[in-house]
Amino acid sequence: MTTLTYKDGVEINQVTRQQITLRGKGDGAFAFAVNKEVSLLPPSDNLRMVDNDRFIFAKQSFDQWVLIAKNREDDQEILRMVSEINKNEAMLASNYSEGQSYFEISGEDKDHYLNKLSHFDFRDKNFPASTMVQTLVARIDCCIYKLEDKYLITCGKSYEDYLRDRLLDSVNL
Amino acid sequence: MSENKIYFKFDGKKYAGNEGDTIAAALLRNNVKLIGRSFKYHRPRGIYTCGIEEPNALVQIINEHNEPNVRATVKKIYEGMVVKSQNRWPSLKTDLGSINNILSPIFSAGFYYKTFMGPKGFWKNVYEPLIRRTAGLGKPPKEFKSKSIHQHHNVDVIIVGGGLSGLLAARKFAGTNYDVLLVEREDTFGGILKNADKIKSINDQPADEWLEKTERLIRNSNNIKILKNTLVTTYNFSDHLIALEDKNVGKPQDNEKPELVLHKIRTKHTILANGHIERFITFRNNDLPGVMLAASFEKYLNRYGVVPDESPVIFTNNSSTFSLLKSLTDLGHKPKAYVDIRDQKNIEKQTLELLEKFNIPFYPKSEIEGCEGKKEVKKVSIRTKKNQITKIKTSMLCVSGGFNPDIHLFTQSKGLLKWDKDYLTFKPDRIFQKTITLGSVSGNFSYEKLLVEVEKKLSEFEGLNELEVKFEINGPEKFQIKELWETKHEKKSLWSKSFIDLQNDVTTKDLRQAVNEGFNRIEHLKRFTTNSMGTDQGKISSINALGIVSKILKKDISEVGTTTYRPPYSPVNFSAIAGRSTYEFYDPERKTPLHSWHVKQNAVFENVGQWKRPWYFKKSEDETMHQAVQREAEQVRKTAGILDGSTLGKIEIKGKDALTFVNLMYTNSFTKMKPKTGRYALMLGEDGMVKDDGIVCKINEQHFIVTTTTGNAASVLAHMEEYSQTEWPNLNVYMNSITEQFATFNLSGPKSRVIMSRVFNDIDFSNDQFPFMSFNNFKYLDTEIRILRASFTGELGYEIYVPPSYALKLWQKFFISSRDFDLVPYGTETMHLLRAEKGYIIVGQDTDGTVTPLDLHLNWMIGKKKKDFIGKRSLTRSDIVRENRKQLVGLVPVDKTLGIEEGQHVIEQKDLSLPIKDPVDMLGHVTSSYFSPNLNHSVAMALIRGGKRKIGSRLFVSTENLNTIAVEVVEPNFIDPKNERMML
Repeated sequence: MTTLTYKDGVEINQVTRQQITLRGKGDGAFAFAVNKEVSLLPPSDNLRMVDNDRFIFAKQSFDQWVLIAKNREDDQEILRMVSEINKNEAMLASNYSEGQSYFEISGEDKDHYLNKLSHFDFRDKNFPASTMVQTLVARIDCCIYKLEDKYLITCGKSYEDYLRDRLLDSVNL
Repeated sequence: MSENKIYFKFDGKKYAGNEGDTIAAALLRNNVKLIGRSFKYHRPRGIYTCGIEEPNALVQIINEHNEPNVRATVKKIYEGMVVKSQNRWPSLKTDLGSINNILSPIFSAGFYYKTFMGPKGFWKNVYEPLIRRTAGLGKPPKEFKSKSIHQHHNVDVIIVGGGLSGLLAARKFAGTNYDVLLVEREDTFGGILKNADKIKSINDQPADEWLEKTERLIRNSNNIKILKNTLVTTYNFSDHLIALEDKNVGKPQDNEKPELVLHKIRTKHTILANGHIERFITFRNNDLPGVMLAASFEKYLNRYGVVPDESPVIFTNNSSTFSLLKSLTDLGHKPKAYVDIRDQKNIEKQTLELLEKFNIPFYPKSEIEGCEGKKEVKKVSIRTKKNQITKIKTSMLCVSGGFNPDIHLFTQSKGLLKWDKDYLTFKPDRIFQKTITLGSVSGNFSYEKLLVEVEKKLSEFEGLNELEVKFEINGPEKFQIKELWETKHEKKSLWSKSFIDLQNDVTTKDLRQAVNEGFNRIEHLKRFTTNSMGTDQGKISSINALGIVSKILKKDISEVGTTTYRPPYSPVNFSAIAGRSTYEFYDPERKTPLHSWHVKQNAVFENVGQWKRPWYFKKSEDETMHQAVQREAEQVRKTAGILDGSTLGKIEIKGKDALTFVNLMYTNSFTKMKPKTGRYALMLGEDGMVKDDGIVCKINEQHFIVTTTTGNAASVLAHMEEYSQTEWPNLNVYMNSITEQFATFNLSGPKSRVIMSRVFNDIDFSNDQFPFMSFNNFKYLDTEIRILRASFTGELGYEIYVPPSYALKLWQKFFISSRDFDLVPYGTETMHLLRAEKGYIIVGQDTDGTVTPLDLHLNWMIGKKKKDFIGKRSLTRSDIVRENRKQLVGLVPVDKTLGIEEGQHVIEQKDLSLPIKDPVDMLGHVTSSYFSPNLNHSVAMALIRGGKRKIGSRLFVSTENLNTIAVEVVEPNFIDPKNERMML
């Protein structure tokens, strides 16, 4: 984890995470295949997350889920999981670990701060903990996962420098 | 009101104002009334109002990047501020442009439309430069650089306006469960409570005290967010408002901090409590400096402690001027005269008592005929009730023509208006969004009725606070008004003017002329005369114009209707609209994992979409692009070169029906394709035109990885998703973009196999083990990489897909392992050159959405036995199989020393007679052209009509200077036509 800044009630950290994107019907076979690997059953509602000590498991759309490792897993283990899940012929698991960048935003002014970069309604009544959203942050497509006291923001790896610069710029304005 | 002195300059002269003064207040404090020159006639203009509605007092702030058209009635002064008047030369007092006033009889409505019709050649060379030089007010900003930010809000309720109505609404919401945003355009709450002496007490306490307590209550409630110095400029559909906050009020500019904040507010309910605007009355010379709206005059007294004039003449048609009369007399000043068009019996007794008590000359049933004075008011002419003209010396005239609810935002929200015959104004009628209007904006000018209105209109909200408010009013409670839009002129001179739009110099004469010329619809008339088309949108005058036009047309004003008020309410700086999307953040940038390496190697970057791709690498400072590209291209074919191809789209496709899906998406057949092999593939649209190309790699029957062009990566994935979800939902197939999960290196050149063997010394790259278009996954350090043998240069080549965190070291390893071969990094321009030498197309460069695979001689890529694929049906249409369609050919100049320019026409005739009179038959155009260092002449590709049949013939290509170059039409494959090099 790299702390990028702590200022005016906002803390921004860049973190390393691993991620697997899953596509499938979300049926029993799907749940079984994933549960076997991460001991989590898929959330049934869109934009909901469940988690355990190792993984966050979020439903991004009607046929798309994402697994994010909370702590650094062995790369080989991630590759193995992808391979195992892909043995289910009705599912696609793609390793996204290196294709994404991850930022954590915390602090009491995090909502106000993020609203400098995103139109999204971060209020608890609209965006409670254990939900996620795919939206624009600084004009780029990001996923935001609401954890208990912070947000995990992911974006495409190629946007990493741009988003980091925008995040830091906005803290200073 | 602060008494701290602030020094600033206006037109080079130093003045002192008080802290908190606007420029206008400070200049009035110094008895400066002449502020600028008018737009068209360069007539002297002063300060007409005390707020955002100001049409006249626009100035330029020199020390803020020369910011033009700043309202002096809004902008606060600060120490060292440098202000300049506008639209005058050489000085404000002596302006040569005022000759326009002398010539004004010819500048009537429609002057430009009628005058500058011809001769045709004058438009560009005479009229436009002349009009551009003389038109406009301020000068454009210089070296503009501003930091503005955007701030989004999501709330349950927004209250627009922190005046009495807005504060009452805020009190209702304080401490409740509603998220509320309270927006006030000024730096203090209170509105009318601060501006005028209309309310004596609230709940038996002075209004100021109530105001202070209310603000404290609101601030202490944790559900109301307050924005001051923030003007709501826009009310969009749906329930989306935009407001502009000035963070630098009364402070010099700080380039490190945001100067402006553009608030974008999404709300569930909008409460408009933004008050009203006083309107003027039209009379002769109603534009002279010294004429001011009565309520504005009173605002200067109460809010700034500035007395613009101790003995002005007051001219009114309504009861509101009582409070000005009272404010002035309370300060010990006595107006020169009080002119009211109403009959004495209709004038409120409180007003009559004051007039009598202070012995103020009173003219009931009278009107101001006009003003006299060159640069400011010296005298006013009063037409008395006996129709006699009386002249009074004065330097100031305060005018009140009634009030308009400030309906701009309401109409922006698409709310409908209705005419109020009692108050002679348009007021909100039917809402279109979740809008609530409170107070004078809703046409309610009664304080007593305000409480009832607030309770009633907010009753839809649950759990609001009870309001206990009791007003004690100064003066008449009921607002009364008599219609008067324009007074009768006494002077019939050609230069006598009664203005209806002060900012655009439109007179009532212009309105009459427009109607006479047939512009009897209000929207047409507005455009013909430019009435209310200034930056103030006629805030103080547009209803007067409707009143006058209704009289001319002999129609009821409600029949005439209103013009449309458009966002923004008041001008918004471009910097605020841009926010941080300027300079370094102008557009999001995408970088490959090797970007930093490229920077160190002096790469010159090309923007490909948002990607930054190395265009070419400069070996030395002196090396030109041409030299670099020639060097890189030569080296690739000599030994080897490596390209960062990470930007290429990569899509993983998997499912029981993945093979069927891929067969449907691409023209090629993949059924018999062996696992672990790749195939160059074409994707068409439904129209049979080439949409994209790439390589399809088959892992097994149910699992594929395909590549796309860089620019089409997102659209190809979306295309696949759309077909998967809407056309073939029966297919079990899923796809993910894995573009950024892998960096991609494209190694090309005769030495590439040797280099690959050195880098991956445990892999056998022999033809037997690693044939052309085969691929495999390999373990590399702690990860997995994929290597594909393919080529986009015509050389022996490999594509290496590696996770980004391993990319840089592996990339460097290639260079370390190939020092003896001088492995060269090459950019996109060299890549384009190399593929053009082989005649490989670039989708989007050699195709343009009208090109089929048949046009490109790519028939071999169409699976003839395939039952279906996207675009198949279109490929048999008569127009698609037509022989003389434009088809891809190669071109080589006959004179090998000449170059061919991309985009030029291909024609059959050698000579172009100049000037070209008869149409020249254009066969097509050059799509790609490069100088080949490996052939030592130019090679080009072109799409020309009936191209296949023209191979072997001689044609001509036009040049920039309308000459032609003779070219041989050849097959589009210039190097190694048997493809022996890539099969090495």
